[in-house]
Amino acid sequence: MTNRNSVETEPDAPTEEGILEVKDLKVHFPIMAGLRRHQVATVHAVDGITFELRSGETLGLVGESGCGKSTTARAVLRLNEITDGTVAYKGVDITRAKRKQMQPIRKEMQVVFQDPYASLNPRMTVSDIISEPLKVHNVGTKQSRQDAVAKLLETVQLSPEHGNRYPHEFSGGQRQRIGVARALALEPEVMILDEPVSALDVSIQAQVINLLQEIQDEFGMSYLFIAHDLSVVRHISDRVAVMYLGKIVEIATRAQLFERPAHPYTQALLSAVPIAEPRGRDQRKRIVLEGDVPTPVNPPSGCRFRTRCWKAQDVCAGDEPELIDRGQGHPVACYFPEVESAADVPITNPDLAPPG
Amino acid sequence: MAQPVLRIVDFKVSFNTVDGVVRAVDGVSYEVYPGETVGVVGESGSGKSVTVLGVMGLLPKPAGKIDGGEVWLEGQNILEASDKDMQDIRGKQMAMVFQDPMTSLNPVFTVGDQIAEALQTHNKKMSNGAAKERTIELLTAVGVAQPETRFDQYPHEFSGGMRQRAMVAMAIANDPPLIIADEPTTALDVTIQAQVVEVLKEIQNRTNSGLVLITHDLGLIAELADRVVVMYGGKVVETGTVDEIFHEPRHPYTLGLIMSLPKLNEQMKRLLPIPGQPPSLINLPSGCAFHPRCAMSAGREMCRTEVPSLYSVDGGGHASACWYYTEVAHELEVEAEQVGLEFSEGQLGDE
Repeated sequence: MTNRNSVETEPDAPTEEGILEVKDLKVHFPIMAGLRRHQVATVHAVDGITFELRSGETLGLVGESGCGKSTTARAVLRLNEITDGTVAYKGVDITRAKRKQMQPIRKEMQVVFQDPYASLNPRMTVSDIISEPLKVHNVGTKQSRQDAVAKLLETVQLSPEHGNRYPHEFSGGQRQRIGVARALALEPEVMILDEPVSALDVSIQAQVINLLQEIQDEFGMSYLFIAHDLSVVRHISDRVAVMYLGKIVEIATRAQLFERPAHPYTQALLSAVPIAEPRGRDQRKRIVLEGDVPTPVNPPSGCRFRTRCWKAQDVCAGDEPELIDRGQGHPVACYFPEVESAADVPITNPDLAPPG
Repeated sequence: MAQPVLRIVDFKVSFNTVDGVVRAVDGVSYEVYPGETVGVVGESGSGKSVTVLGVMGLLPKPAGKIDGGEVWLEGQNILEASDKDMQDIRGKQMAMVFQDPMTSLNPVFTVGDQIAEALQTHNKKMSNGAAKERTIELLTAVGVAQPETRFDQYPHEFSGGMRQRAMVAMAIANDPPLIIADEPTTALDVTIQAQVVEVLKEIQNRTNSGLVLITHDLGLIAELADRVVVMYGGKVVETGTVDEIFHEPRHPYTLGLIMSLPKLNEQMKRLLPIPGQPPSLINLPSGCAFHPRCAMSAGREMCRTEVPSLYSVDGGGHASACWYYTEVAHELEVEAEQVGLEFSEGQLGDE
């Protein structure tokens, strides 16, 4: 294992080329009604987001239900229609790529889904499930595919005889390993992990997280890691993007994001997570947001968080705040972010000290 | 301390299934005092929910069966109560908040009517007007804005967090001395969870009721519980104050849970998962049910053959069901070092 798990390592230099570049991505879904099924409204599921996934890194994508994180993942994989914006893989625009053009790219981008019960075909043996991507892409002979399956089972720490069994014979954690093995079969360069551990118990969740990290260390692929559990995201990500109602409100390295969150929503989100440390719990100050997330059918004007934000002023209802880097390599979409004051805050975490 | 509101003694529940008899709860004992929050943690299938369903008299019939034990609620053994008596006890002396706010309200009645029903069931003389007035008070207490309008709305007009508030309002309608909350915030987003947690805390402060909080979220336990009960394979494996459980665990399973949990406030070098899978309740391992997953059990005959029972480790309330509990402290140091956590044992003073 390399030392990428050492405490708060800074990610690759920002000059590193993005393997996946998403620009102004919009995914809207029509709401149809009436006998003629005409469109009455639009769900703005993802509404103009820009980010890049750098080679070899893990980018965490967090947010609450309905913020558009899974839709983003599906759009990147071209499993959803993209309304507007572009998705480029290794510099090639794949936004409107045809099925044929997508095929070789699909080989390099694989996905692991949340639900280990629904994402494996119950009528196929584990070997068939894992070798299916190889078959679909015409890789190798029957014999070489069998060898590959044995090796993949070993990689995800299952034994070779598991290959002849069916998914129902496995527990949730083991099924998720099978899902990971299937994604690995084509030796992808990008893995999209959509809530891969949220259906699992704590002890099993840790097994799968460790497995994902070991695999990344060994094969060096990039992860787009989608989750709502901020502790898990902190543990696994190099950089983190926070989404709210179809927008990215903040992107930063994990050290920046968790030690100095700049956007009020990120601050509220972090303070809302119960911390597994009983000592000093009464002294912890918690930002309790009022109300619920507004509907993406008719999002608020200007900043979408303003209806729940304690800092909101008139300007927030006007033009939408842009995701701007204010020189810290830490873009925030807010008129009143807390990045400027960061320099005044005493640095408590030694890993945050500027290098050199 | 006062008398406990709830005292569960050697409680046993089994289910008849096609694959055989499942001993879901096997000799569980714990108590809850007035004003106290007892957190019950454990993985799926540990028996934490089945225990309280048995207490509430809500086990699915005929599959679920209580095989023994006593459940004392305010001095009455409610396992001996008739079904009719149980109807009076539920809602009045103890109430439950369930996990899923989407399915635990009736979709064809207004939210207000459902809460008023809970009031009038236990107080037949209460007039409709008085019930409505009290319901609006309750909705206000749990932080539902515009309670007069909300009274006449149906569950589908409420968001998830609002529904869970309505469920809490229903649970506290008759000021029960005991509230049981089974994963009350698991279905909610984290910012909404924070709202509901605040409501639960405030209500408990005001009414001084005992609260049983069942959850798999150790964070929530650390935030809310006074004492903790850790369950594994249908048994209690460790119990103690929240500080003891998080800082001086004396059972390797508790330790395993802590070491496998990514922390929000600290960057861990790595996680130390508990190896293997949770046991099948139909075919529990012999001896200590945790031994196949336990590093400390290696080469030890005792763990494989003898079932450990829960013994006090400090002469007081901190108890562990491990033959080698004295070694857990050392194991904690070793593992904390590996994952890169700083652990301070002992009293709060040394921080």
